[in-house]
Amino acid sequence: MTDLATPTPSAAPKVIPVGRTRVIGYITAGLGLFVLLAFGLGSSGNAHSVLTFTPVNTSTNAPWSIGALTVLTRYWNMAAGLIAIAIGVHMIVRRPAKGAMVRFGVAAILFLFALLLWAGRDPGPSQGLHVNLTSILIGSSALAMVLIYGALSGIMCERAGVVNIAIEGQFIGGAFFGSVIASTTNNFLLATLAGAVAGALLGLVLAFLSLRYLSDQIIVGVVLVTMMSSLSSYLNLQVLSPYPNLNTGNLASNIAIPLLYKIPIIGPVFFNQSGFFYFMIVLVSLISFGLFKTRWGLRVRAVGEHPKAAESVGINVIRTRYINVVLGVAIAGVGGVAFMASQGAFQVGYTSGLGYVALAALIFGRWRPSGAVSAGVLFGISAYLALNLQTYNIPISTEILGMFPYLITIAVVAGLVGRVRPPAADGQPYKRD
Amino acid sequence: MTENMADVLAQADPGSPVERRSLWTRFSSKSPVVLALLALVLGFLIGALVIIFSTNTVLDAWRGIFSSWGAPGHALKVTFDNVGAAYRAMFTGSVFDPSQFWHSIATGKQWDNTLTPLSETLTYATPLIIASIAVGIAFQTGIFNIGANGQAIMGGIAGASIGSMINMPAIVHIPLTLAAGIVGGMVAGSIPGFLKAYTGAHEVIVTLMLNYVIAFFLVFVLLSTPFQLPGQSNDISRTMHSSAQLAPLFGAASGLRVSYGIFIAAAVVYFAWWFLERSSLGFDFRITGNNPNAARASGINARRVIVVVFLISGGLAGLAGVVQVSSTTHYVDGNFLIGSAGIGFTAITVALLGRNRPMGIVWGSLLFAALGVGGRNMQAATGIPLDLATIIQSVVVLFVATPVLVKEIFRLRSSSAQGIQLATKGWGS
Repeated sequence: MTDLATPTPSAAPKVIPVGRTRVIGYITAGLGLFVLLAFGLGSSGNAHSVLTFTPVNTSTNAPWSIGALTVLTRYWNMAAGLIAIAIGVHMIVRRPAKGAMVRFGVAAILFLFALLLWAGRDPGPSQGLHVNLTSILIGSSALAMVLIYGALSGIMCERAGVVNIAIEGQFIGGAFFGSVIASTTNNFLLATLAGAVAGALLGLVLAFLSLRYLSDQIIVGVVLVTMMSSLSSYLNLQVLSPYPNLNTGNLASNIAIPLLYKIPIIGPVFFNQSGFFYFMIVLVSLISFGLFKTRWGLRVRAVGEHPKAAESVGINVIRTRYINVVLGVAIAGVGGVAFMASQGAFQVGYTSGLGYVALAALIFGRWRPSGAVSAGVLFGISAYLALNLQTYNIPISTEILGMFPYLITIAVVAGLVGRVRPPAADGQPYKRD
Repeated sequence: MTENMADVLAQADPGSPVERRSLWTRFSSKSPVVLALLALVLGFLIGALVIIFSTNTVLDAWRGIFSSWGAPGHALKVTFDNVGAAYRAMFTGSVFDPSQFWHSIATGKQWDNTLTPLSETLTYATPLIIASIAVGIAFQTGIFNIGANGQAIMGGIAGASIGSMINMPAIVHIPLTLAAGIVGGMVAGSIPGFLKAYTGAHEVIVTLMLNYVIAFFLVFVLLSTPFQLPGQSNDISRTMHSSAQLAPLFGAASGLRVSYGIFIAAAVVYFAWWFLERSSLGFDFRITGNNPNAARASGINARRVIVVVFLISGGLAGLAGVVQVSSTTHYVDGNFLIGSAGIGFTAITVALLGRNRPMGIVWGSLLFAALGVGGRNMQAATGIPLDLATIIQSVVVLFVATPVLVKEIFRLRSSSAQGIQLATKGWGS
């Protein structure tokens, strides 16, 4: 963080319980215990699960593949549970100063893995269903990508001190205009540009109202989401329904990176993706480098932490915020196009709160691009599994599964995050004296 | 508080030359009502633009503007015809239809048809007022309860289950049903309340996420055996017994749906006024909203305030949900308060429009209810989607939230440029 960051006097002391690491430790250990009892001892001793690693629609044509791996469900899950318990107990006893979230993340991944093994166990309700790890990772990566776009957008805005709660609305705008342009031109570069422009315009509205007229940024954000969802529903009925060729829902084709895409597991997940995925990686590294290693980043962070001090050394606070908000929201617009390009034709309400989950990923990732990536991956996998576990005959109803991503978001925001410290001037209107 | 200060400051120098403008200017630069009306005008203008840019006949007329001398006039006429038809349908569907009125005068019959639009608006406004009060009380405490919709759904579920599963006389059943709704909303409201008070989780994200969770929960409950309408496989609940329903005000034979629920709404409005203006707890709430530091310094327990305000806000939202069920459909289905029917989301905009004051909320609710009901009529009459009403509503609120912009657009003096002041600043608190 910048050294300028003396908290402003008005910042209320935050309610942070002492020993939160311990709380996370208890939760982690509890998760492990659940895995041990339900997924480990809960599956019979002779049950086995089959893990496969070749993607289902194998266009990759790998020269060598990994065969199916058959594991004994009970003992693998017991091991996973014991590892999670060990991590939790270590956190309770030793209270490590850092890395609580990483440890929790590992336990969460173990939990999901055990859940999959348990769901696909052979003498069990869904016999013969193999757990295709690579397919799961590919499916999750699409959601994670969108979440990371959203979180990056939030980082750009909030590091400069403007709360962007309207990521959901910007996704909708990007997806809508992206779909129209992609359907008419069949050119995803143009569609991306359209999404970015739509986002930039929305960003301009947010910046204009909150910077020039000092409106409450959260109110403006919430109202913008309402407006975008009703506007998209309106235009969907008025324009897209009569002209279905404006919304054909062509998906972005994958670009395979030569040689690398043939690596098993990693290849199809990382090197055989649409252009949006690669662009996301470029953006993450650009923003990460820019924010923490360049003069521009130092200025942005100064504006977000202590605008008065920034102004006194000659930084134009308002202009910095304008630029960051417009660029940031344009990123969210591209995220909307990316969502459309991976999910298909625009439908009203099909982002289903992903923009808010991205916001939570931003907080979980502590306003850092690298954190946003890990949060996006964790949320992406859990959201994907919640949507796709229905293929297994597990005794949990669809509706309860559907709640999972949102419940996880609440849990994360509510306290797993540990000590979050947003940019000190985040959301506070700034007026030059 | 800030409002009062602005008034005091304005009265302090009545003789200053700046103040000596026309009566209109002086009036308009102070009054939030005028501000809201101007925002409404802007909302309708932008709504008209949306209609123009999405209606083919209008666009075609403008495309041919250079084809003949009469074309520009024709284009203007087509524009006014289309926009006018939409807004006329909105008005006649929600307030009053002149032709129907004259028909009733001339024949002395069908007065119920004349009164139906107003009755529908009131029916829609009744739960909206309650839900908006719920949001407004939270706002006054500096808390942003976006979860009113989910809390209302929980209230509706609880109320519908008590109303349909138990048989008892109406005098006990109705209060019990309403109480169940309040408790349902409180349960949903307590989650963000406790989380914010004890972990510092920002209420905006928690309540938003809970809305999604509750939407799933609604379907889950509706498909579960004790709640589902017997013999149905759809997500629909049992119908409430007549002893638990809020009866129509003018009898079921009149065909007018406006129910006794409006008295509940009136009681809630009075309660909110009394609570915020007269009770000591309400005073604590407002202090907390206006100046958290002063509140802490004067010994107000911030955690208790947060939890209690969420209980009250959630309870009222739940009441709105149960009033909605027991005065209109009498059952809950999978679309209950989902999408454009989500009164909890409209309530946020209404609370902002009414500046979180009980009477302001009443007027705001009536206005937005008229927009919603009229929008339905507009959709039926002209085919323009109902969503236009929501677009207009959100534009209005955006402008109400930025009074300076409205004043600049209308070239009004902008001295007491107080926007909606909230304490929802950033994530930290």
